[in-house]
Amino acid sequence: MKKLVSAPALFAAAGVLLVTGLLLAFLYSPMDASTMGYSQKIFYYHAPIAETALLAFGISFVAAILYLRSQNDKWDRLGVVSIRLGLVFSILVMATGMIWGKAAWGTWWDWEPRLTTFLLVCFLYTAYFVLRSVVDEEQRRATFAAVFAIIAFIDVPITFFATRFLPAGMHPTVITSSGTGMPGSMFVSFFISMIGMTLLLVALIRRDLGIEELRDRVADLKHSIGG
Amino acid sequence: MTIEEGAKFVAAAYAIILAVLVIYYFMSARRVNALKRDMELLEQEVQRRPPAAGESGD
Amino acid sequence: MTGWRQFMAILRKDLIRELRTREMIISMILFVLLAMVIFHYAFGVKEDVDLTYFTGGMLWVTFIFAMLLGLNRSFAQEQDERCLDGLLLCPVDRVTIFFAKTAGNLIFLLIIQVVAVPVFTLFFVHRGYGSDIVLFVVVLLLADVGICALGTLLATISMNTRSRDLLLPIIFLPLIVPLLIAATAATTTIFATGASFGVLGTRLLFLLGFDAVFMVAAYGTYDFAIGE
Repeated sequence: MKKLVSAPALFAAAGVLLVTGLLLAFLYSPMDASTMGYSQKIFYYHAPIAETALLAFGISFVAAILYLRSQNDKWDRLGVVSIRLGLVFSILVMATGMIWGKAAWGTWWDWEPRLTTFLLVCFLYTAYFVLRSVVDEEQRRATFAAVFAIIAFIDVPITFFATRFLPAGMHPTVITSSGTGMPGSMFVSFFISMIGMTLLLVALIRRDLGIEELRDRVADLKHSIGG
Repeated sequence: MTIEEGAKFVAAAYAIILAVLVIYYFMSARRVNALKRDMELLEQEVQRRPPAAGESGD
Repeated sequence: MTGWRQFMAILRKDLIRELRTREMIISMILFVLLAMVIFHYAFGVKEDVDLTYFTGGMLWVTFIFAMLLGLNRSFAQEQDERCLDGLLLCPVDRVTIFFAKTAGNLIFLLIIQVVAVPVFTLFFVHRGYGSDIVLFVVVLLLADVGICALGTLLATISMNTRSRDLLLPIIFLPLIVPLLIAATAATTTIFATGASFGVLGTRLLFLLGFDAVFMVAAYGTYDFAIGE
């Protein structure tokens, strides 16, 4: 049980990679040539966190499908855990994204497609927990949560696509994604941070899964002694 | 934008990331401790109970 | 073939029940008209302000909230008299129930729109859009199908929970936002500048894709949503 709850090796690996990525970002990667200058350094964690958040929701999507097929509680636990972590990471994306916006465009909030998508993602997956909290029976709760997790994940790319729509013919072509041409020296730091962040997610999921399992066991035990 | 101006934004961003992750970790650590304590108490209770459970098993 | 007959039977049942009481339709229409008055005073911040550009948004906000009223009502009735339990006992495919319910809600939404659209555009749109009427109807229908399919699926889930009608907006609104963005963008373009199928191509395709994706998703998950 103890082994399940803590996975020190994974945390250590994630930590080493994240620190390395950060050090490289500040010491090795060049200063951004655009007007952003030094504040562009936010990017080295901001983007990996965003990708990790989406990965967490992707995991919950797969877990939801597996739950509906097998009705096995462990997939429900994986769904809860990965959505909770995805939500934490999404909030970090929003926070760092707003700081980025202030530095780059001089405003805390801009209805930019990616930022807007993450705002909606936050609402969407908060609703997931509201839904869970209003169903008492365990199996039904897990089933509804799985259905919602499937629909919600399908909605994420659709939302991202839709946030680029403005009334036709009234606005010049919308912002296209930037940063495709990343110099190699930037990419190394970014890539190491991304691997580190992914490992951190995996480590946290494993840890939280252990906690959820423990919680279920405590609940069962409580039930079995009649209180 | 000068390096000093940029550094403020960068420091704020990384501080928030660190703070949220640390808070999340400690909150879940507290939950683990509480659950482990519950588990121990419940196991003690189970060991104490069996005869009583047998008596009231009707 | 039997699937089609079952579909029609459930749909007919819903329509007859509504025609007898008319409580849902009447309250939805009243809601729409009241919303129009409120919008007028909310946005008419100074005299002779042109609300043409806002009408698309106003319409879709109104439809979505009217639909929330209707969805809650249509499933509350099913549950109050335990009608749904009876329906589930029949040898009917669950997916047939979904399509019948969606079609019923679509008809109610269309009735609302037949009243709301002329009134809203009469009061707010200062530009003839008659030449784009076909395009407008296409946008309306495509968006309506998406709203009703997703709404029916989520209303089925929410009515089986403890907080029932309180839950529906919380899970429905964030999911429907992309459709709302596309529909509003298309409608505003039609009202404000006029448009053609070419100009609105991406938006129409998007709405069509949205409908298709969530129809398939609902088809795959409705068994689980309606419970055993």
